[in-house]
Amino acid sequence: MTFLQPWVLAALPLVTLPIIIHLINQRRFQTVQWAAMMFLLSAKALSRGYSRLRHWLIMALRMLAVAAVILAVGRPLSRGWLALAGGGRPDTAIVLLDRSPSMQARDPAATESKLDTGREQLARSLGTLAAGRCMLFTDPARTPLELDPPGMLVDLPAAAGGAAAADMPGLLQAAYDYIQENAAGATEVWICSDQRANDWAEDAGGWSSLREAFARLPQQVRFQLVTYTQPVPGDLAVRVTATRLERRGEERQLVLSLEVSRPEGGEPTMVPLTCEIAGVSATVELELTGRQGVLKEHVIPLVAAAGNRGWGRVSLPADANAANNDFYFVFDEPLSRRAVIVAEDPECRRVLELVAGIPPEKDQSAAVDVLEPAGLSAAALTEAAVLLWQADLPEGEAAESITRFVDRGGQVIFLPPATPGAQGFAGVSWSGWQQHPQSLKPQSWRADQDLLARTLSGAALPVGEIQVRRSCGIVGDHVPLASLAAGAGGEGTLLARVPSPRGGIYLLATDPAKGSTLASDGVVLYCLVQRAIDRGTAVLGKARQIDAGGDPAALPTAAEAWKRLGGPPDAVAAEPGSQAGVFTAGDMLIAVNRPAAEDAAVVLGDARVDELFRGLSVARMAGRAGITDSLVQEIWRAFLIAMVLALLGEGLLCLPRAAADRPLVPLPLEAAA
Amino acid sequence: MQTDRQPRSFLDPQVLSRLAAVPLLARKPMVGGVSGRHASPHRGSSVEFAEYRKYVPGDDLRRLDWRAFGRSDRHYVKEYEADTNLRLCLVLDTSGSMNFGSTGTTKIEVARRICGSLGYLASQQGDAVGLSCVADGIVRSLPPRRSPAHLRLVLDMLEEARPAGPTRLPEVLHELAETIRQRALVIIVSDLFVDPQVLASSFGHLRFRRHDVAVFHLLDQQEIGFTFQRPTRFLDMEGGAAIFADPVDIADRYHRAVKTYLDDLRRVVLESAIDYHRVMLDEAYEQALARFLVGRAAGSGLR
Repeated sequence: MTFLQPWVLAALPLVTLPIIIHLINQRRFQTVQWAAMMFLLSAKALSRGYSRLRHWLIMALRMLAVAAVILAVGRPLSRGWLALAGGGRPDTAIVLLDRSPSMQARDPAATESKLDTGREQLARSLGTLAAGRCMLFTDPARTPLELDPPGMLVDLPAAAGGAAAADMPGLLQAAYDYIQENAAGATEVWICSDQRANDWAEDAGGWSSLREAFARLPQQVRFQLVTYTQPVPGDLAVRVTATRLERRGEERQLVLSLEVSRPEGGEPTMVPLTCEIAGVSATVELELTGRQGVLKEHVIPLVAAAGNRGWGRVSLPADANAANNDFYFVFDEPLSRRAVIVAEDPECRRVLELVAGIPPEKDQSAAVDVLEPAGLSAAALTEAAVLLWQADLPEGEAAESITRFVDRGGQVIFLPPATPGAQGFAGVSWSGWQQHPQSLKPQSWRADQDLLARTLSGAALPVGEIQVRRSCGIVGDHVPLASLAAGAGGEGTLLARVPSPRGGIYLLATDPAKGSTLASDGVVLYCLVQRAIDRGTAVLGKARQIDAGGDPAALPTAAEAWKRLGGPPDAVAAEPGSQAGVFTAGDMLIAVNRPAAEDAAVVLGDARVDELFRGLSVARMAGRAGITDSLVQEIWRAFLIAMVLALLGEGLLCLPRAAADRPLVPLPLEAAA
Repeated sequence: MQTDRQPRSFLDPQVLSRLAAVPLLARKPMVGGVSGRHASPHRGSSVEFAEYRKYVPGDDLRRLDWRAFGRSDRHYVKEYEADTNLRLCLVLDTSGSMNFGSTGTTKIEVARRICGSLGYLASQQGDAVGLSCVADGIVRSLPPRRSPAHLRLVLDMLEEARPAGPTRLPEVLHELAETIRQRALVIIVSDLFVDPQVLASSFGHLRFRRHDVAVFHLLDQQEIGFTFQRPTRFLDMEGGAAIFADPVDIADRYHRAVKTYLDDLRRVVLESAIDYHRVMLDEAYEQALARFLVGRAAGSGLR
């Protein structure tokens, strides 16, 4: 419990006043000569247990009354029944606000979203709390914003809903840095969130260090979790998974792949989807069965006015959460699928030229540049989507060029040279060839994601039919995507990926021509290379599809310079990178949407959240969308009522017994005869 | 009244003159030595006809009813009621508790006034008066006598009576029941702080000995109301152990104990046919005596 006047609690020892008065009274006894001792003896013997109980009850009620008065004068604050731990008025209150799209869901019976409810409740609570200073931290800026007065939180644009996911560890880190830098006194950190797993990133490695850092702070830091975890029924989310511009003769058409999801499943239903491109709307119905419905390769003819590049929006009918009812997309003429091949083996080079030079669609163009290892330069990779490298791992300037290429989103596939050297790249190197007496086939591979994932129709690539006659070992930190033998480690890896923040670094540990049937079978190698080209092309195009609140370094240009073309009317113009919509930056079209993880309604359990704050002072208050009562209320009235009740109880117990038990005074004079 | 001595402080001439208008009568026939105001179980020579009896040889022929002989041809003797004096035995409780009084007047003082007045009234109508001062035994005793000199001794004893010691009233009453030889009017003046059940056997014993028993029960208002406010150390006036108590805490139980005691006592006096009179110390003793005398006068004539 918190008190606005905690110094009044110093008077709490006055609670013992009734006992002291009782003891003093006991010492001030009188002595009288008494005749009717037989009645006294009887009275002392009669129901001593009840008398003692009554005596103690009276004493307890008097003490309770005194305590209630003192506590009422201390102006106690209520923080809900589950947060009765102690604490005084904080010097600083820090608000970490989850503005993610899931927080914009509203209860069917309420008019306010979880985020609006949280903002109102926090504003009221902070107003009552009267902390010395209130600071707000939100994603993606994470710069402190002073709330003076706290009530401005309700209307603050920076606290309005966004399309970006929240990063709770990042917000906590920002709060920690603020406390450190400003040497704040007793601090309360109010976290308002719906506890979505993607926002809290429970597996992030930073949690343990954050916990330790907060625990080491000299000042008292107390966390108040205001959570809105109630599921929202009937909430649908739409997402465009792929867009492709095609030509059919003189006509052009846009091929869209969509998915609609709902967190709790339900009866099969038809969902009307509105596709709007260049002001022209078309509606298509999608059958939603279970939790997810998919519409693949939906063709939308483009009118001439739409041009060769443009943007559009797919919308759902209004439901409980408006933030996931729209999805923006952009489209452009397909780029030339340019690949750079550096191969020392002519036969391998020939194979790679073939698989990289044939585009998957007939209206797409492909280009292949074949270079010598020494001839590789940064300029050669400027327009390339993928680099296929079959030679000793690069060093020096070539390595730097490739690193820059990968950092801007390029894809590199390394193939082992004839004689692997000791060179390494990105922490991995080739260990040496292994000849297999009998051809090996891949025993396991990642069919759920990355280059060997299933096709859009769900069919698996025939990876298991590849026969490998020799393979090269991989040394270093890598993630196997296909293995010749389960658990074989680097020696048995056929295809591996090296972790990198952007782009893709892959190692194919065999020779496609002589060492395996990759070339002769063709399909797997072709898919593998073309998918890498797809990924590389995606970051080169003039139409970009990005997640809101993503890494600013990955943006094509600074988000501040973007110009908004379309989007929700209530979006905050000052935050283009974290608001949904379509933007233009120079000649580039950028569609910003919520991350895919926001559509997965996975809520972190309370126990798990408690575990994240293990060792710290945490109180939890469960809120509900639409109920905007203050989380902190002054409850001195309750204490005054308690005092009145205590005094009433004391008075009732002190009342003389019923008149029937008393002899009549004066007694009637009775005659026996 | 003794004119040659200093007036007794417990005798008020005006009260006595007012009370003298009502005779002190016994509720039962008394066996006295001389003629008096009280009915006797024997036949006598008063003017009040009692019954006819068959003549037996030796009867006084003067009492033969000739008219009855003339009507019935049988010999009847005419008998008349006998009037006699009574023996008044005053039993004064002089235990330590009789020294209590919260209004400035103690129980022993009121008891002296009651005993002195009744003794004087009885003496004035020719009855014999005796006094027993009792506590844990019979402390002092004077047998009933009719002479005025004896009344002075009784009054002297009353004046000298000092409350002290514990109460053993039931045992003392048993002893008195055995020692008072003839039918008498036994008047007990006490606070009766003993168990009513025990007291019942004493009363029964006195009744068995055909005594007319009357009780003046003296109580102080404070003993009933128990209106103390502060914690109090109660010292037993009869020498028992002291008790420390908070009156506020035990008042209800005290009142319950008093009520139980009074209810029990009422039942005992009703069962024992005792002439019971409760006298509060803040009440005028004259009223109690008047009620006593008038009540007896109304019930006179019983034989």
